[in-house]
Amino acid sequence: MDAVAIEIVKASLSGIVQEMQNSLFRTGFSTIVRESQDASCALMNPKGDVIAQHVVLPLHMGAFPACCEGVLRSYGGDIVDGDAFLINHPYEGGSPHAPDMAVITPVFFEGALIGFCGSIAHKSDIGGPVPGSCSGQAREIFNEGLHLPAIRYVRGGQRNLDIERIIAANSRTPELVLGDIRGQLGASRLGEQRLRELLAKFGPAESVACFDRLLELSELRMRAAIAEWVDGRFEAERFIDDDGIELNKPVRVHVVVEKKGGSISFDFSASADQTKGPANVRPPLVKAAIAYCLISLVDPHIFINSGIMRSFSVTTREGSVLNPRFPAPVNTYNATVHAMVESLFAALSHVMPARARADGCGSRSIIIGGRSTSAGKTYVQYEIVGGGAGGRAMKDGASGTTVNQSNAKIASIEIMESEFPTRILRFELIPDSGGAGEFRGGLGIKREYLNLADARFSIRSSKHVIPPLGAADGGPGRTGDLTINPGTPDEKHLPTRYADYPLKAGDIFRLDTPGGGGLGDAFKREPKKVLADVAQGYVSPEHALSDYGVAVARDGNNWIIDEVKTKTLREGKS
Amino acid sequence: MGRYRVTVDTGGTFSDFVYLDEGTDEITVAKLPSTPDDPSRAILAGVEVLLAKGVAPADISYFCHGTTVGTNALLEGKGVCTGLLVTEGFRGIYEVAEQCRPHGAAIFDIFYDRPPLLVPASRTAEVRERVSAVGDVLLPLDEDALRQTVRALGAEGVQSLAVCLLFSFLHPKHEERARTIVAEEIPQCAISLSSEVVPQIREYYRLSTTVINAYLEPILARYIANLEGRLSAARVTTPQKYIMQSNGGMATFAASAKKAVATVLSGPAGGITASVQTCRTTGYANLVTFDMGGTSCDVALIKDGQPSVQNRGTIEGRHISLPMIEINTVSAGGGTLARVDALGQLQVGPESAGAVPGPACYGNGGTEPTITDCNLVLGYLGENNFLAGRMKLDAAAAHRAVESVAQKLGMEAADAAEGIVRIIDVKMQEAIKAISTMRGHDLSDFYLLAFGGAGPLHAARIAAELGMAGVVVPLYPGVYSAMGLLMSDVKHDYIRSRIGGLAKTNSADVGRLFDELEALARQDLRDEGFGADRITIERSLDLRYAGQGYEITVGIDFPLQADSLQNLRRRFDETHRQMFGHTAPDEPVEIVSYRLRGIGRVPEVKLPKFKPEGRSLKDALRETRTARFAGKMLDCPVYFRDRLDVGVQFEGPAIVDQLDATTVIPAGHSARVDAFKNIVISARGA
Repeated sequence: MDAVAIEIVKASLSGIVQEMQNSLFRTGFSTIVRESQDASCALMNPKGDVIAQHVVLPLHMGAFPACCEGVLRSYGGDIVDGDAFLINHPYEGGSPHAPDMAVITPVFFEGALIGFCGSIAHKSDIGGPVPGSCSGQAREIFNEGLHLPAIRYVRGGQRNLDIERIIAANSRTPELVLGDIRGQLGASRLGEQRLRELLAKFGPAESVACFDRLLELSELRMRAAIAEWVDGRFEAERFIDDDGIELNKPVRVHVVVEKKGGSISFDFSASADQTKGPANVRPPLVKAAIAYCLISLVDPHIFINSGIMRSFSVTTREGSVLNPRFPAPVNTYNATVHAMVESLFAALSHVMPARARADGCGSRSIIIGGRSTSAGKTYVQYEIVGGGAGGRAMKDGASGTTVNQSNAKIASIEIMESEFPTRILRFELIPDSGGAGEFRGGLGIKREYLNLADARFSIRSSKHVIPPLGAADGGPGRTGDLTINPGTPDEKHLPTRYADYPLKAGDIFRLDTPGGGGLGDAFKREPKKVLADVAQGYVSPEHALSDYGVAVARDGNNWIIDEVKTKTLREGKS
Repeated sequence: MGRYRVTVDTGGTFSDFVYLDEGTDEITVAKLPSTPDDPSRAILAGVEVLLAKGVAPADISYFCHGTTVGTNALLEGKGVCTGLLVTEGFRGIYEVAEQCRPHGAAIFDIFYDRPPLLVPASRTAEVRERVSAVGDVLLPLDEDALRQTVRALGAEGVQSLAVCLLFSFLHPKHEERARTIVAEEIPQCAISLSSEVVPQIREYYRLSTTVINAYLEPILARYIANLEGRLSAARVTTPQKYIMQSNGGMATFAASAKKAVATVLSGPAGGITASVQTCRTTGYANLVTFDMGGTSCDVALIKDGQPSVQNRGTIEGRHISLPMIEINTVSAGGGTLARVDALGQLQVGPESAGAVPGPACYGNGGTEPTITDCNLVLGYLGENNFLAGRMKLDAAAAHRAVESVAQKLGMEAADAAEGIVRIIDVKMQEAIKAISTMRGHDLSDFYLLAFGGAGPLHAARIAAELGMAGVVVPLYPGVYSAMGLLMSDVKHDYIRSRIGGLAKTNSADVGRLFDELEALARQDLRDEGFGADRITIERSLDLRYAGQGYEITVGIDFPLQADSLQNLRRRFDETHRQMFGHTAPDEPVEIVSYRLRGIGRVPEVKLPKFKPEGRSLKDALRETRTARFAGKMLDCPVYFRDRLDVGVQFEGPAIVDQLDATTVIPAGHSARVDAFKNIVISARGA
């Protein structure tokens, strides 16, 4: 095969998915798509393998093939040029949960199906018992909004308006949902056109050969890197707080990694049984989580396609939290995915100590629904808030950030207050929330709100009970918390995931997000770094003393190290 | 008196000069080595070049400078000791920034970090005050506490202070009061208020822009004062001394010193401004500019003579919320490396050979092939005519370097060189598509305007691949940015955010807000020496469908008529359709911000038009060289650019050499020299 043609096709594919992505971000109607950018685009081959993806959300690496397979299962012999399909069903397709709606369109060239263009974008509301469609107390997917199996939305270029009416009738924000779907359709059409230009330039046979070779190359690249790792069997586990229904029962995620030569396998069979509440994760996301970790460990710049998925094998047990049976609920899957990613990093830290890291803050969103925007319409205020990342080999963890597979922008305070009946009282990093370690965990975020109108409040968080763990003797990060009316007689803490709390006008609620775990022995942290942390207000003098064995004192406006006391403290420990 | 315009674009290696004789429209150019420790030394050397020709300093009527002093200080972390004041409880705005990681590799890279804070938490202080989303004071400013805070910051040695309070764009009084208190407590401290730098909604972007301004302002002020001093010492006393801004306009020395952040992304603005002027004078209204240098390639779109503008940009992960020319940068340049990886795959870029060792053919020890080496192997560059022969290229070294890669691929060296160039061309084509076809523009209406050292080498093939109308290579492609500095106007941007439903807004309120902004603009321009007859005002609004997260800027004509706001609504829907492919005419529209641009018009420069001198094409022939086109070695003529007469036409394959660039006209293309001595290339049959 022509080495030049491959590179040209690769550069063109990257350009196409980038262009689709830009189009989607620009044309998306909702704040979620445009500001939070909770959406991604990909090109697939006729089997549904991703041949190129602009990675915004890593989990979609697994979701796209499963969505395509869903379309092929239902419409295999009956897909024609000009069609477009919708699918958001976690069991029929690959959507992590119902709000993640996929639009899949076939691409034909000279009469033959060459592949698919696809996009997945989070919808602000797709029905169900709570605004935003993510109820922490869902017991079946029937509590999680409107589910579309693969359905034909466009035939011969004509949108099926019946389908639009059904969707609109099932959403609290119909204009936003339909606007976003049309934006997705536009991105797909753009992708089709660009892909056809590429096929015309290189000829379909040569192009398809390049697509196949690119899949093969990504697989070979992963395998070559894996082959250099030490052989062995590695095991790790993580627990999530609970499933939202059984509140005092942590849920186990467990992995056994077996690595021999160029092959590597991941067995999650010992993970917990499927949960009653919505902590379950479908297998396409398990594959995506593994791919995320391998890419991170091997080469963050690798060309992303399904070839990466072929470089490993995975086992999940049917009926477990990572392979639940229909109709187990799935809407707050993200905490479980974080636990999976963290168990994978923990297991593989034996293989790649130079890329070791402690656990991070997980992820969370808060959703406030009500009926009183300035325009007098139903509204859904949706915010995603990060926290601390884990300490890393040779580097502290980042503060106030998204971690792992999660990646959304924080909402602007001035925009939120202008649009919704809310006032934000406080937005800052939390001192001492980062896990102690030679490399400190990043700090969590404190965001405090005054609620100005009666509203319905839901939270989907993680790590309010079980903290982000440290690594290599590092300490844990501080847990998260959601407090209603803090410091008053009515003070109340909501569980990690909670749906439909009735907030009243005048209620205050405070979200504290977890700090990251520390990495390495905190008593080995350079005292001058501890001093700097105290000076910046990231670590209190008390914790410098107790966690790091570093005594600091005020000297006018500055902080200085009490060398003698520090020496005594640190020697006393060892 | 007053006959010469002098402009200088200071780059990392060279400072480019353009001299215009306003009497004769004659333009001359020079390239001198930059003096990074004090860029003004090279600038004075460039002024001396003109004075040495017998021009009196008083004859210099206009001086414009493109500087990277601010940019470099930001990139190298060499700004001043800066402090920050925020509303009490809101320290997180700066530290959390956007919270997310950039798309792509950073999401997978556990070692990714945001750029370090320009103001550490220890120099960030809180101000007890709060303003609501409609501009009401919820908590009055605690002045005594503020005074204490400011004193403490002074004791920390803060030299410049950024102030960004919540909703200060609605109620700037608290920030203004803070300035007074700072002036009283630490009088030598510079101060930047977010309500002045960019009074716009979205606290983080406003804060980031204000912090960058505070961080750089004393640096730029010092640099400009120093330059001013040197120019005065050389008796260059014209009041028309300007600095280029990121928005493609200039500002006087004094105004620039106060708004340092506006120069940070000004690097490519000169080239775009020159391109806009090319549009005006030569009749190519639609252009894609293509500036390819040693390590990167900048492309920008000009439609109907107007460059595409964006309202926010980033530099190394830092956000600047100011209007700037929209430029797409891709790492593709003459120094971009080609390698074969462990799996036997050819990789072109993004790594670059940089200045050291540079391309193998520069003879500085480079052994890996770069794009420049490939262009030499293919015969596009000649060994002896690089920089007019001042730098000899080592063809044997280039061959060896390309051969090392070709061997691993089992290819002939010439095939590999051609393939490598094709790959880099595709990467640049994708960058062009991203700013054109993606926005609904049809490239067949656009010419590709090629400049920079390497642009004219690649342009014709790229334009043909993209189905563009053709290529324009200006007369001085290597100093094109400095050319742009000759031709700009003074431009200042003003903004006020006021969210409100368009249907509920009355035109009197709109008019009043614009009147306030206009008064500011006129005052500033008057201070810079512009009479009312030289001032133009442009107004626009940032609009969105209610609840959307993204605004579109739509122009509005003044004075307002009864139906102005209805027309505005219609224009918004139209623009939305054009940009995004759909509209929602039944959805309410919101105004988010009011924008006003004050333009001080500098007397226009006409690009010189030339008359044919009756020379034939043969007079320009330098030599015949063999060069490779689409797999074949072809004999092709090489012409001297400066001897190509107006009106001559020739067919590709052909090569045109000049001091600072080489233009390739591939087989199947024809070229002509227009009255401005641009080379215009088009694919035959196109």
